Order: sequence, then C-alpha cells, then structure tokens
Amino acid sequence: MSAQSFHFSQETPPDSMFSDIQTLNKFQDEQFGHLVQYVFEFLTDPTKSSRLFGQLEDFAAENGVSGNALKNVFKSILSIPNSALKKSLSPEQIKEDLDNLGLSEGKASYFVDQWRANLVGLSRSALGQTLMVNQLVDMEWKFGVTAASSELDKVGNTFLQLKLVINTGNGVTNSYMELTLPQFYSFLHEMEKAKASLEYLS
Amino acid sequence: MKLVIVFQKRDIIIQLCCCQHCAKTLTSAPSKDVVLRTCQWGFLYRDRQKVPESVLNNLVQEYGVTMDQARKLLTAAGALMKNAVFQGSTDPADLIRLFPSDFHTSLRDLLAKIIIQNMATWKAQAINNQVSLPRMVDFDWRVDIKTSSDSIARMSVPTCILQMKVQENPLRVDQVADVSTVNVELSKETLDTMLDGLSKIRDQLSSVANR
Repeated sequence: MSAQSFHFSQETPPDSMFSDIQTLNKFQDEQFGHLVQYVFEFLTDPTKSSRLFGQLEDFAAENGVSGNALKNVFKSILSIPNSALKKSLSPEQIKEDLDNLGLSEGKASYFVDQWRANLVGLSRSALGQTLMVNQLVDMEWKFGVTAASSELDKVGNTFLQLKLVINTGNGVTNSYMELTLPQFYSFLHEMEKAKASLEYLS
Repeated sequence: MKLVIVFQKRDIIIQLCCCQHCAKTLTSAPSKDVVLRTCQWGFLYRDRQKVPESVLNNLVQEYGVTMDQARKLLTAAGALMKNAVFQGSTDPADLIRLFPSDFHTSLRDLLAKIIIQNMATWKAQAINNQVSLPRMVDFDWRVDIKTSSDSIARMSVPTCILQMKVQENPLRVDQVADVSTVNVELSKETLDTMLDGLSKIRDQLSSVANR
C-alpha cells in the first residue's frame, strides 16, 4: 500500500490503528452507533472518565468482546475526533481520513454526521478548557457611610468595599479594596465600555 | 507647667490648658503668618514622634526659643488643632469654648480665625488618612481576542483583562504606602454578571440619595 497522507496526524498512523478499524468494521451498525455515542459523550465532558469506563465494560459484557481489546479499539477511534478538534478539520477531511484508514462507507458517513451534530458542544467544551489567567470567580460588595472616626467626630462620606475572589492557578485568593463614590462611578462607566467592546467583538 | 487636656465626654467641650509659657511664646511671634504656619505644622505633625529638625530649627529662629521649647510649642499647637478638627465646627462661638476663660483674647481670636480658615483642608486630610481597607488608586482594562490554544486550533473569543492598583494603609506615618496590582481576567459572562451587580449598587445608591 502506498503511503497516504492523513489530515488528523502528520505521520502515518501505526498498523494497530488499521487493525482496530478493521475490528470496528466487524461490529453491527447498532453497536458501532453506541461506541460513537460514547466517543462524543466523553469528548464533550472529558472529566467523566469513570462513566466512560463503566459504559465500555457494559458494552464488552453485552456483546461478548474482551475488555482490553475494546479499550484499544476505542482509543484509536477517539484519537481521530480529538485531533480533528485541535486542528479544526472539516467534515470532508475527517471522512477522507476514515476512508483511508479502511472504515466501511456506511460507518464512516454515520461518524461524520455525528461529528457535525456534536460539533457545537465539542467546541464549547474545548473553549472552556482554554487557559484563563487569574480568573474572577466571585465578587462581593457592601457600601456604607462612615459615621465618625478618631480624628473627626462627625464624618459623612460614603464608601464602597469590594471583595474579589480570584482563581490564581495555585488556589483561590481574596482581594479586598475600598472605593470612593466617584471612583465607583468611573469604574462602572469603564466596565460598561469594556462590555460594549466585548459585545461588538463576539 | 505641663500640658493638661480635660476631656468631658458628655459635653464634648475640650478644655485645653496650654502652658502659659506657650501662650506667651505665641504672643511674641513676629507676625500673624508665623502663627498660621505654626498651627499648620502643628496639625501636619500631630501624630509624629519625631518632628523633622528643619521645622524645629525654623521655630527656634522665628520665636527665639530653645529646641525643647519649640518642640513643646509644636505639640501644644498640634493638640489644639486636632481637638478643633475633631469637633468639626466652624462656628466661632464653639471654637471660643475650646479655650480657657482667662486665655489671651486677641490670641484666642487669631487662633480661632486660623482654625476656621483651614478647617476644610484639615478635615479632607483627616478623611484621606482614616482607617480603611486597602484603597483602589487606579485601574486599567483591555480587551483581547484569543485566536488559538492547545485544545482548539482556531477560535475567536474576546476576553477582558482588568488591572487594579491598590494601596495599603501606610505602616509608618512618614512613609507612602506600597501600591500593589491585582490582575483579573474576565470572560464575557463574568463581565455581564459583574455589571449586573454594579448596576444594583448604583440603583441602591441613587435610592439612598433620593431619600
């Protein structure tokens, strides 16, 4: 077989991948459908790996397949949409790769359709995993009036206190600060400008 | 004679028995401006243990007294100004009650006039230095667009970065406090939620103001 180029991977995939695809071809369409569903469920929420293992075990038991072999097959089929997402491949390119890997026509088309349907959810979860520096988690505030102090018997100025809860990567820090009223109004004004800018760009 | 401050909580009348010598020193001042400057310095250094040498030398020259007497004079003037500002009244009748009844009348009137002139400035200074949480001094923001990351190759997500400069309360009276920066990244949803909160604050502020 001549060396074909693949979209999802720069080098030619290993032989084990080709044989895994052949194994997939042997599954019935309904069983293949289940596996594809597990693939997309996992990609949409990568934290739920325990759920995935449970699903794979049940599948292996129901269909009389060995658990380990199933895991390898699953790994192969998972790597394709994974890199497709990272490289933003088009559905046609994915279909081409699946055909070159030897997946049967029907199954390949089904896979690509499922890809199209799940793309929004997959993108959203990938965006959610994108790095955010010092993300603001929560903001608490209170405002009040100073009644008196040790220097002045009668004070009457308003203040605003903010507590910002920030997720620094190393944990959560609280940042406390006080604003005067004019500062608060200018802060509000600037934040509204920032919001307008964000809305214009999204 | 020493400086005696009698503070009667119920009447909020502060009787300040200035050392007779201090009163005498003030009456021997070369001009009214000197008395004004003495009061201003007195208020400025009211909380300090150590007054700068230059200020004391100045007083020594102006009044022709010793260093020790200059220091006592400054402390007495500072205490008087501090009590006057605490009371906060600019009504001459209230100010006259600060002094004992046998106090030198024209000096008393001059001091009262000085207090009235400078009350607004001194009140503002006291408010600026009062106990508080770290204060925000300045803030900046910018909007970035994220175009790619390790989890997705092409995207176009706007995000806002906010930097706030926060100044702690000074640890020492004669030093300016450090300014630290707080950097925060806000996604669009976070910014919307934050603005909702800030608008609620504004509405509540205007409802309080209108009452």
